[in-house]
Amino acid sequence: MLALLATVTALTFTASADTSVPVASTDTTVPVTRGARLDVNNFGGDITIKTWDKNAVRITADNSDRERVDVDAGASVVTVRTSSRYGAPRLVSFEITVPTWMAMTLEGTYTDITVTGSAGDVSATTVQGDIEVTGGSGHLSLNSTSGTVKVSKAHGRIEAVTVNDGITILDCAGEISAETTNGDIEMHGIDASSVEAATINGDVTYDGTIKDGGHYSFSTNNGDVSVSLPVGANATVNASTFNGDFDACFPVQMTSPHKHRYTFTVGTGSARIEMESFGGDLTLCRPGQSKQSRHDRDEDNDNDNNQ
Amino acid sequence: MTDRWMDRLSEYLDGTLAPAEREALEAHVAGCPACTTALAELRRVVARARALDDRAPAADLWPGIAARIGARGTVLPFARRAGRRISFTVPQLAAAGIAIVALSVGAGWLALTRHAPPGTAAISGSSVEHNAIWVRGADSEYDAAVAQLRAALNDNRSQLDSSTVRVLERNLAIIDSAVAEARHALAQDPNNSYLNHHLAETMRRKVELLRRASSLAGART
Amino acid sequence: MEIQAHRAPTTSGDPSLATADAETADAALAASGDARAFERLYRAHVARVHSLARRMIDGDDPDDITQDVFIRAWEKLGTFRGEAAFGTWLHRLAVNVILARRKQVGVARTRYDSAEDALDGATAPRQTPDVGMDFESAMATLPDGARQVFVLHDVAGYTHEEIAGMLGVVPGTSKSQLHHARMAMRRHLQG
Repeated sequence: MLALLATVTALTFTASADTSVPVASTDTTVPVTRGARLDVNNFGGDITIKTWDKNAVRITADNSDRERVDVDAGASVVTVRTSSRYGAPRLVSFEITVPTWMAMTLEGTYTDITVTGSAGDVSATTVQGDIEVTGGSGHLSLNSTSGTVKVSKAHGRIEAVTVNDGITILDCAGEISAETTNGDIEMHGIDASSVEAATINGDVTYDGTIKDGGHYSFSTNNGDVSVSLPVGANATVNASTFNGDFDACFPVQMTSPHKHRYTFTVGTGSARIEMESFGGDLTLCRPGQSKQSRHDRDEDNDNDNNQ
Repeated sequence: MTDRWMDRLSEYLDGTLAPAEREALEAHVAGCPACTTALAELRRVVARARALDDRAPAADLWPGIAARIGARGTVLPFARRAGRRISFTVPQLAAAGIAIVALSVGAGWLALTRHAPPGTAAISGSSVEHNAIWVRGADSEYDAAVAQLRAALNDNRSQLDSSTVRVLERNLAIIDSAVAEARHALAQDPNNSYLNHHLAETMRRKVELLRRASSLAGART
Repeated sequence: MEIQAHRAPTTSGDPSLATADAETADAALAASGDARAFERLYRAHVARVHSLARRMIDGDDPDDITQDVFIRAWEKLGTFRGEAAFGTWLHRLAVNVILARRKQVGVARTRYDSAEDALDGATAPRQTPDVGMDFESAMATLPDGARQVFVLHDVAGYTHEEIAGMLGVVPGTSKSQLHHARMAMRRHLQG
């Protein structure tokens, strides 16, 4: 019965693309014209987005007949919502395949959001859940409260915000900003002209290019900041720490020795780098080099009785 | 002829005629009684206008204004008055967050306002809606404002999932302790520009977190 | 020769340097949410704002306009930089609010007229000399454009260039409107 209903509904659906049709089925495909957007709001359960080359959106969900999945295929927006027919809402997980060009707004509360291969703008918001985006060339705006945010192999404008977890940005290019409160920020393989990374209770690690004219800002309250400066990069560095130390893996000439604030220039000084930690250490090394913080090293020295 | 001169009398009075014209007009007025009278009258009109006293309205309008700007500086739409209980809507609390004043820091204090004058240093952050401006002034109302928001958060705890509440509370505590550290350091080194900037940024983060909390709670209603 | 542009004196006279400093400080406090500081500014300037509203607009509620002006000032305090006196900044903002309001009221003006007449009892048909009417009430009988220019130039002290910018006219229009207003007001010198 359910299967028949699904088929009927699917047929009806493709015939009239402008109506909102509640589906008890788990598999619906709607055609879209280029420029249309996807708008998903899922209270609980995951949202997984994949892409393909067709100008169509396929929505599959694991709902039972206790949940409604509403798909509204308007001319410019495909809207996907869940609601509960009766009783408490259960988790409904979506897997949605969209055209590569499609922009999307994805929201959920107890929702992990995963997006792979999209070239459109992605706005993803969850409260308790992780966000993972792989690939991408649009504007990524990713926001969680209790969950990690991870972005890989994307280029463009990337904004990642969470509160109670870490942010990982890998092999990305463009303009990147990452902000969390209780988590680390790890950025590796980055090719960016503008980077902002800020946390309160965590470490910030950056390993990537420093381009002429770029602006790079890394700050934490309690943790350490480790930044890599490639050979040949040109940067003016301002490193401020209140209770911690500043360390460089290569010789630098301080231009304004000042209590808690270290300023120096490398090469032409073209890029601007700001490193800040209130209580932790600041370390500047070459790519691939990692230098233990002085505290760790001192402990090692004590243990090894070396140097 | 008379009309042409009449029409220029005001400009003459205001001193905006070119010298040649001025002389010509003066010459004409000397021989034109109507113009002389008009000129004198115009002078009196201008003098009367300048001498007008300003008069306050009969009613005291301040209570109406105060109600619309709210206790903590929220601007409420005319039709909506602040209720006794803080209704946890995003616009009200967000605005209250914006109006939060930072602590007193030695000789000056930091105000978080939405519209900073041009040329003011912007505090960097991923979602810069606020700019920090340095202003001289008295002690802050920051702690009281934050306490009020916290109380509202507590009032509405039941509307937020308990684990989310724990997450928010934990992170508020993290930021609070960072703020306390920064204040303490700043008390000993008030002119340290890094510390001032750092404190401002940390306080902005707290405001952002409170706003996030309010919007999450508001989403439940 | 005559008349430099000036600002109409407030009831307390031109602000001293100390007062200006105190007001700038109050503005800064108010900008951060200190309602008490804003109330002090309100008390100091409400008479001037209210009078401006009364004189510029006929047929709209000056109390309402005055409230709008101060609400707007509260919202815009962040843009006050303390370079000019606060009163100057506030007055300029009041003019903007009043003029913007004028555009809205204009359409409804005919509806309000008869009601306002009944309430005020002060409106005389235009062009009829009325020596009993006081000077300020007489201003209300001027045509709108002429009245606005008259208030802005002769009462408030703005220049024709400034007025032209505010009203969206050329300075020449402002000058001729001013003259028209002054000539009309000659009738009411006795009032």
